[in-house]
Amino acid sequence: MSGGGPPRKRNFKIEEFKNRVELNPKYAERTWKVLEHAIHEIYNHNASGLSFEELYRSAYNMVLHKYGEKLYGGLESTMTRRLKEISRSIEVAQGGLFLEELNTKWMDHNKALQMIRDILMYMDRTYVPSSSRTPVHELGLNLWRDHIIHSPMIHSRLLDTLLDLIHKERMGEVINRGLMRSITKMLMDLGPAVYQDDFEKPFLEVSASFYSGESQEFIQCCDCGNYLKKSERRLNEEMDRVSHYLDAGSEAKITSVVEKEMIANHMHRLVHMENSGLVNMLIDDKYDDLARMYNLFRRVTDGLLTIRNLMTSYLRETGKQLVTDPEKLKDPVEFVQRLLNEKDKHDKIINVAFGNDKTFQNALNSSFEYFINLNNRSPEFISLYVDDKLRKGLKGATEEDVEVILDKVMMLFRYLQEKDVFEKYYKQHLAKRLLSGKTVSDDAERSMIVKLKTECGYQFTSKLEGMFTDMKTSQDTMQDFYAKKSEELGDGPTLDVHILTTGSWPTQPCPPCNLPPEILTICDKFRSYYLGTHSGRRLTWQTNMGTADIKATFGKGQKHELNVSTYQMCVLMLFNSTDGLTYKDIEQYTKIPASDLKRCLQSLACVKGKNVLRKEPMSKDISEDDTFYFNDKFTSKLVKVKIGTVVAQKESEPEKQETRQRVEEDRKPQIEAAIVRIMKSRRVLDHNSIVAEVTKQLQARFLPNPVVIKKRIESLIEREFLERDKTDRKLYTYLA
Amino acid sequence: MCTPAAGRGRVRLNVGGRVFETTAATLAGAGRDSMLGAMLDAAWNQGAEGEGEGVAEYFVDRDPECFAVLLDLLRTGGLHVPPQITEGALCREALYYGLLDRVRAARWGEFEGDRLRLAASVAGRAPGDGTAVRAAPDGGCCVAHGGVVRVYNWMLEERRPVYLDHAPVNDAAYLDEATLLVAARERPGRRDGGVAAFSALTGDLHHRFRIAHDRQIRSFTPGALAFDHRCKIFASCKGRFNEYGIGVWDYNTGDQADFFYEPPGCALGDADKLQWLDGTNTLMVTTMFPRTDNSFISLLDFRDKNVAWSWSDVGTPASLEDKHVLHAIAMEDGRSVCVINQYDDLGFLDLRNNAVGVRWRSRSKLTTRKKTHNEETCYPKLAAHDGQLFASTNDTISVFSGPDHILTSTLRGSDAGAICDFSIGGDRLFALHNEENVFDVWDTPPPPVI
Repeated sequence: MSGGGPPRKRNFKIEEFKNRVELNPKYAERTWKVLEHAIHEIYNHNASGLSFEELYRSAYNMVLHKYGEKLYGGLESTMTRRLKEISRSIEVAQGGLFLEELNTKWMDHNKALQMIRDILMYMDRTYVPSSSRTPVHELGLNLWRDHIIHSPMIHSRLLDTLLDLIHKERMGEVINRGLMRSITKMLMDLGPAVYQDDFEKPFLEVSASFYSGESQEFIQCCDCGNYLKKSERRLNEEMDRVSHYLDAGSEAKITSVVEKEMIANHMHRLVHMENSGLVNMLIDDKYDDLARMYNLFRRVTDGLLTIRNLMTSYLRETGKQLVTDPEKLKDPVEFVQRLLNEKDKHDKIINVAFGNDKTFQNALNSSFEYFINLNNRSPEFISLYVDDKLRKGLKGATEEDVEVILDKVMMLFRYLQEKDVFEKYYKQHLAKRLLSGKTVSDDAERSMIVKLKTECGYQFTSKLEGMFTDMKTSQDTMQDFYAKKSEELGDGPTLDVHILTTGSWPTQPCPPCNLPPEILTICDKFRSYYLGTHSGRRLTWQTNMGTADIKATFGKGQKHELNVSTYQMCVLMLFNSTDGLTYKDIEQYTKIPASDLKRCLQSLACVKGKNVLRKEPMSKDISEDDTFYFNDKFTSKLVKVKIGTVVAQKESEPEKQETRQRVEEDRKPQIEAAIVRIMKSRRVLDHNSIVAEVTKQLQARFLPNPVVIKKRIESLIEREFLERDKTDRKLYTYLA
Repeated sequence: MCTPAAGRGRVRLNVGGRVFETTAATLAGAGRDSMLGAMLDAAWNQGAEGEGEGVAEYFVDRDPECFAVLLDLLRTGGLHVPPQITEGALCREALYYGLLDRVRAARWGEFEGDRLRLAASVAGRAPGDGTAVRAAPDGGCCVAHGGVVRVYNWMLEERRPVYLDHAPVNDAAYLDEATLLVAARERPGRRDGGVAAFSALTGDLHHRFRIAHDRQIRSFTPGALAFDHRCKIFASCKGRFNEYGIGVWDYNTGDQADFFYEPPGCALGDADKLQWLDGTNTLMVTTMFPRTDNSFISLLDFRDKNVAWSWSDVGTPASLEDKHVLHAIAMEDGRSVCVINQYDDLGFLDLRNNAVGVRWRSRSKLTTRKKTHNEETCYPKLAAHDGQLFASTNDTISVFSGPDHILTSTLRGSDAGAICDFSIGGDRLFALHNEENVFDVWDTPPPPVI
């Protein structure tokens, strides 16, 4: 019940007992004189001659005999008088001695106060609480506050001196920190309110204007990095100052002043600073500057948001350029590698400079997601990149390296909205790799499949896994075939068949060409063997996908082994019996589709160094009137000659259209299935909700187009899976 | 003639002519904040420092007999008072040396419901029936009866009584050991009564808590008092106009902070017991049978002015109608309320469920009722402390312990009639008896030596 208590009423007085034993009326006065003298002696550092016991007893007696009020009043006025003297001696202290003097006197006063309180302890315990007075120690502090700190001659001088010293220290001078600490501690001891009102508030105001000026100056002449360095140093200086000689409670306040003046007020100007702002730091990988910016901006409201927004827009902009620049789309592998590099670069920045801040990671991810999907060829390119890596790129790489690369690819894959398109391409590329035996590592292939499976589930990879199974069974079947039929086959050509399950592979039905009779025999033998062991199956030859190794002897007797496609093999075998054939003849004999045939002849006759055929007339392109001859003069340094077909690495425009068409076609049943699933559980739903639900369900694979969803709904209504509600046309009902 | 080594740390005290020798360490045990501690402090012994090797000697002009007891207290922590020393003398001396708190701490131990002893019976001198007894946090207490609250310190010496216009007192509460809140009835035709804070030490009125309605100060009759840990004071109020409900004041400013008007069907203004529940930040308001026809308990949430939980025995089936809930106490875990009826059955209400009935506990029939018919009976009361449950029935207090509230002790003190109120606080239990206003003080003896 002190200080801030409710207003008290003290309108009656304890009346003295009428029958009190009369003391010598001079007694109280005399006792008080003794005590007063003692108080003076204590202030004069002359206490050694005093008897504590005697003084204590005197004070006790005064309280006991109801002179408590006199004692208390006497103490108050004596101490006040002493403090007024002290105040004068502090006032006359010159310049730098002022604080010293103040501090010394404060120490003296504290010590004296303790001793006075010792003497008056009994009064403090009994008289003070029962008469609602301020306890002695607090009284001493209050009087010091009122007569010293708030004395007009000292008050503003003290503040000015303190602020001046702090300013000097900010300008690089060395000041007496120990003295500062004592003075601020004194202000704290006098109560938090004294410290705050008489020092902290003006200190913060002066600091604010100091830093506002300094930041103006810095921002005129410094680049962003230097400015941040200076701000950081100032911030650390202030924290250091608080820890050395200010109250710990001031730290948050002064740092917020520095943050506001140095950072918050110039935030936008800083990040956008020409040639040194955030974007330049990102471009030049200035980890230290970025980390500094992050740590400083984190302290102010919306600081990180500012960085994040600018970084996002920068990423989107550069990313957009990256994926839409036709120049950069020429090489898919290079394209994806560039994306990966970009990602690595920013991952590292976030890791090193931004403390792995989740919000920044999210911003990076969303930016990538945004611009990767700007180019609808991204799925194809990513698949091509994997294809490239799995064909040759990973040769010699350790298992961990492979994992790292695949993980990075998966990360890009996650950004893709059209995951089904990726699947389509991946299947094609995988098929090619498997059938041509170009896969570098089976483990790497399987690892990739596992990653896709964890990402998208079993459905996504079941067909891909089926392809692997086919490869394995084919191997077993061929072994068995040769084990059982080797005597029957004799010395004929060796046949290696891959039996592909229809549906698992991206095969196009394609009329088989006419195989040379030697091959046909063994093919038929295999067919009868296979159908004999697996009844009820159908075998179709995919002659457009096979390869062959054939031995050829040229004019001067040199022998070469030619590695060619099945089509090329068929063509070349024709030249066993004749030296020259027209295009029409070849087409007629082999029945190879015209476009394939042209490509195949082109690679046999028009590629330098691999021209085992000679064409007349000589030209780059194949026309239907050309005649082809066996090239007697063919030479090559290599024994084994690989004659590639002119294969399109990247899909050509029409092919791309076709793939897209197929993807669209494949999406239809998936959308329908999703609609039916949703309607089955919800029974009745309006159009917009269906669209939203379907989008949600299929998000993992692709982003369905609302127009397509609408078409599918209409189709389902036609097929009587759904019907429109009779009253509300926006509602659909599920028909079980 | 001591060797310097032996003299170090030794202190010789001449108290009223008798010489005591002890060590500075023993006296330092009194603390810097005591007379002995200050006397030995370096600040007061600067002159003696040079010759510091010898035994320091001090003279103290006090009674040696009492000092012997207090020195023994400092040495052993135990208080052993020879019969020739009076309580008053000892306390006076302890106050001189600044050791009164230590004497009090040595007097009785930490409160244990099953080890209570009757420490004192204090004869009252009230002209009428006592209304309430309240324990102070420091071991003192106050007794309210008629228009006066009598205040006792922990030595059970009576201080100056407290009056609020001499209006009949309904409730009193210790906000802290020096501040007493009093709720007094408004008398017809006189704008007196209300809630006020007094100094428990001097009896001075500190502050009157007002209720303003439409900016007009209204007089009112407060029923029960309570306060929370943030110095909010609550009182059930009945005003002359519409001021029926719970008034709230902020003790630090002294101003009215809130008023919870009673919603229809909730008897708040008549409440005879308020209890602040820290765990749920709610105020339990109980209005019991003798005051109204039906008993009513509710929990108020002041943050959104909401009745968070309520129970009433309105509409209880006729067969149970004769079981009136007469007193209720929220258990310390804040999950249930214990109630008691006129047959001294204990019952429990689950605070986590709204709209549940009382689970009466038949096996907790209290003590064997030894009812002398010429005695006036009192309604039973309940209290909870440190996991134990206390119930007053006639002239006995029963102590229930453990999670199932098994009867473990019964306290029967003065033969002064039924117990009309009791209160636990400051490690003591005070029981106010109906006849002659005697109150019994129960406390726990210090733990045995071995």
